[in-house]
Amino acid sequence: MGEETRKYLCPYCSNTLDTFEALKAHVVKEHKTEPLPPPEGFIRLTVNGQTYELKVEAEWTLYHLIHEKLGLTGVKMFCDRGACGSCTVIMDCRPILSCMTLAIECDGKTIETAEGIAKAKHPLIESYIKHHTMQCGYCTPGFITTAKALLDRNPDPTEEEIREALGGNLCRCGTYPQHPKAVLEAAKKLKKE
Amino acid sequence: MTGNQFGEYQKLKAEGTYKIGADIPTITFKEIGRRGVRRYDGYEKASGKAIYTRDIQLPGMLYGRVLHSPYAHARIKKLDTSRAEALPGVRAILRYDDPEFKGMKLTGSIAAPTKMAPEVAGWALKPVKDILGDLATFEGQMVGVAVCAETEQIAVEALKLVEIEWEELPFILDAEEALKPDAYVLAPGAQSNKLEETRELIEQGDVEKGFEEADEIIEFTARRHAHLWAGAEMPCVVARWNGDRLEMWVHEQQPYLGKLILSEQLDIPMNKIHTHSPYQGCSFGERCNPPNWHQNGINTIAVLLAKNAGRPVKLLLNRAESFYGESGDMMVSHFKVGAKKEGTITAVEIKSTFAQYMCTPGIEHFIDNTRIPNLKCVGITADVSKAPAWWCRCEQLPNTFCFTLVFDHVATALGLDPTEVALKNDGCEGHDISYLTEYKGEHGFPDRDSLRECIEAGKKAIGWDGKWHPPGTLKLPNGRMHGMAFTWSHDWDDVRGTGSAAVLIQNDGTVSVIAQHSDVGVNPWTAYLQIVADELGVRYEDVEINPFDLNQGFSLMSPDGSCNLCSNGFVVKKAAQKARKRLLDLATTKFEGLTANELDIKDGIIFEKSNPKNSMPIKDVVMFAAPMLNAVEIWTEPPVLAWAWHTHGLWGQALETGRPRMCRQANFTEVEVDTDTGEIRVTKVVNVNDVGKAISPETIEGQMYGGTYMGLGRAVTEEMAWDPNTGVLLNRNLLDYKYATMLDYPPAESIIIETGLGHGPYGATGIGEDTATMIPALIGPAMYNALGIWIDEFPITPARVLKALGKA
Repeated sequence: MGEETRKYLCPYCSNTLDTFEALKAHVVKEHKTEPLPPPEGFIRLTVNGQTYELKVEAEWTLYHLIHEKLGLTGVKMFCDRGACGSCTVIMDCRPILSCMTLAIECDGKTIETAEGIAKAKHPLIESYIKHHTMQCGYCTPGFITTAKALLDRNPDPTEEEIREALGGNLCRCGTYPQHPKAVLEAAKKLKKE
Repeated sequence: MTGNQFGEYQKLKAEGTYKIGADIPTITFKEIGRRGVRRYDGYEKASGKAIYTRDIQLPGMLYGRVLHSPYAHARIKKLDTSRAEALPGVRAILRYDDPEFKGMKLTGSIAAPTKMAPEVAGWALKPVKDILGDLATFEGQMVGVAVCAETEQIAVEALKLVEIEWEELPFILDAEEALKPDAYVLAPGAQSNKLEETRELIEQGDVEKGFEEADEIIEFTARRHAHLWAGAEMPCVVARWNGDRLEMWVHEQQPYLGKLILSEQLDIPMNKIHTHSPYQGCSFGERCNPPNWHQNGINTIAVLLAKNAGRPVKLLLNRAESFYGESGDMMVSHFKVGAKKEGTITAVEIKSTFAQYMCTPGIEHFIDNTRIPNLKCVGITADVSKAPAWWCRCEQLPNTFCFTLVFDHVATALGLDPTEVALKNDGCEGHDISYLTEYKGEHGFPDRDSLRECIEAGKKAIGWDGKWHPPGTLKLPNGRMHGMAFTWSHDWDDVRGTGSAAVLIQNDGTVSVIAQHSDVGVNPWTAYLQIVADELGVRYEDVEINPFDLNQGFSLMSPDGSCNLCSNGFVVKKAAQKARKRLLDLATTKFEGLTANELDIKDGIIFEKSNPKNSMPIKDVVMFAAPMLNAVEIWTEPPVLAWAWHTHGLWGQALETGRPRMCRQANFTEVEVDTDTGEIRVTKVVNVNDVGKAISPETIEGQMYGGTYMGLGRAVTEEMAWDPNTGVLLNRNLLDYKYATMLDYPPAESIIIETGLGHGPYGATGIGEDTATMIPALIGPAMYNALGIWIDEFPITPARVLKALGKA
């Protein structure tokens, strides 16, 4: 699923424009006035490098938006309420729980999911595969995003720092011992790159 | 298993047509047993691309939710759904009194749908049998109403608008309370709360005689409180009707069985049900056995909602609602054991009371695993106001619980090293180890002493000989008490499944394995592809499987009872061998003057054995072997496709005297106990498993260290807690139901032993359930070794430690 296809109607001349940004530019240029505030519930965010402009319902969580509306299945609903880390995404460089974040509060945010990390060929993906750092795999993307956020801010973590960073992620299959190995190996590869 | 069917097995055995022996490899291993084989599912799972049932979205899909009882025991007296029906966005509502549901019971049993096993239908389900009735027998039961709506939010809102008048009824939470003569009888029409159970008495030899022969009699009582699966992906199902054809996406270990039962229940021809089994976010038995209320129930409700609404429906349970069961080892057991001074056990008597379901009686590992001649096991099961109990990685929990506690109580009572007591009693069905030695010789197995090998490796790894100390005697510099423990048992030799698969050589020489299979995380497909690659003589990376579609006709044994590889390894091996034969037969038409016996295949190249330079890639041999082509201008040949089926039938003694369990495992641990706070720190775990043959070593280790975390959670923190005043389960979430995180325990050490003594392919045996099942009881003797006090109540929480120390 790509960006929502919708047209933006100019309130002054009824021209339609493709994006909200284009509408704003049009209003400033053609009608010499300040653009109107965005409609209620309207947000704009960047996910895995792609820009999305959409209207969200007040009760939508960021998980709901990413999983159900953007079709990115890497965010997973596991514990159902902020206890497991499986829905973790990276928002403005920090790992956050998308199930505990309201979508409407994410206007202007930059978000990264496991899909984006894989598309960028981050070495975490291959080191996770190599070390069998998944069993049923349901919690794995949440570990990937948490680990990526750690490496972004600390490219040379100790094993203890890795365990601390991933300590909030639950894995019922018990893949825990493999994560520090996989993250350390990815850190080593990143240093070489 | 009915009497008749058992007779059939006996007949096969008598005719000598069914013989079990060692599976000696006929090939040179290249991929099998190799470390570093790329995980088949790795990229999809790491990148978030793996699709689970919860991820499925269909055009026009609605969301279904079901009402869950707020009371531990109550009946719906009046139900008004009019306000819910009026809520915009609600598309269908089902009520317990609708014709679709009225009187609809769960069908089938553990074995099969009702039509195949009428004698045991409903066996797995007591006491809950209604799919959506008016009676709630525990808090959290699906009851009364189901709804589907445009969004999940609207469906939840609609349920809140349903007005219900409840009649609250008395409830009982404790099994021993429930069995008192004057107890309130919970099930309508029942005479008492005692549930019917065919395994109430298991007896072998004469325990009274055994007690007389003993130098010491050891008696104790132990309790195990409720815990459950709590798998990652919460239960869900998607159903879509297309005319009279039904399409399903299921979070289910046994999709074929589920389809059979759904077909029987709703009278839908089986060929009109198209089932997809996407990736499965855990199961551990939770998503197995479709006759269970939480599977048969949600599947049926989703199908009927989709029919009524005329649109696809995804039915979802939330985390709180997913606490709908317990492991079948809620038990209190009284033990009486007789032993000689030097450690030989002469008799074991176990008397247990189970709540809800006795998943195993507790005595079976003594039968399968020891020379102890006199055994008696009495088990009574009580109906209580809790969710139905079921297998929970795995049904052997009562067996390993009793086995560990008996052996460690005996060793400590006699002042002996538990590893010595184990070796003294190792055997099989009352016979000593020489019986197994003889069997191994007769059936082509190597003569190796599995238990001794496991114990030696484990003792060395944990430093047993230097560290083992008398109970309660080692206070560490940090002020904590140090404890060590050991337990052992046999392997999980569950080569008992039935499965089928096909192997197709594609026109370009690549290979497809064709079969549905539900993966619960045990990396099965990699192992199947390793086997097919080696048996065919092709490269691992040239073999593929698409296991997500039941409609392709072949279905591999579900991951039950550690059956995955042991059963399915045989299936894919046979199919690959057949396909290889077809391929070589076809090759003889391209290699002039040569017979199939004179040809061999390696790395995808077919060649003449005596002159390897005379060779041809598989793709050239199958150039014209294609199932569908314009055959007017091009010569075609039949596709190289072969399928196979395999069953081993029952495990244990059903087919011949002998399929004894020959592989052993040994588990060691070290703990530190804070006597002021009761805190238990597990500092080391060493698991040694004789897996017979390691096909994918990293996968085996994954089950060993992974199972340790689940086992330790069950030992120390995992407990379901009910409010005694209301019968309401208090910790329906993953903050208050505590299982292990990465920070709680150090990584376990995994030691793989390969004796070739398994009954599975190439001598392999099961590993998926062993460790998680062995570890919980092991913490009991470790605590005894630390404190000199037995705390035979599990989980061993800090509160129970302090109570045992007289500090609380």
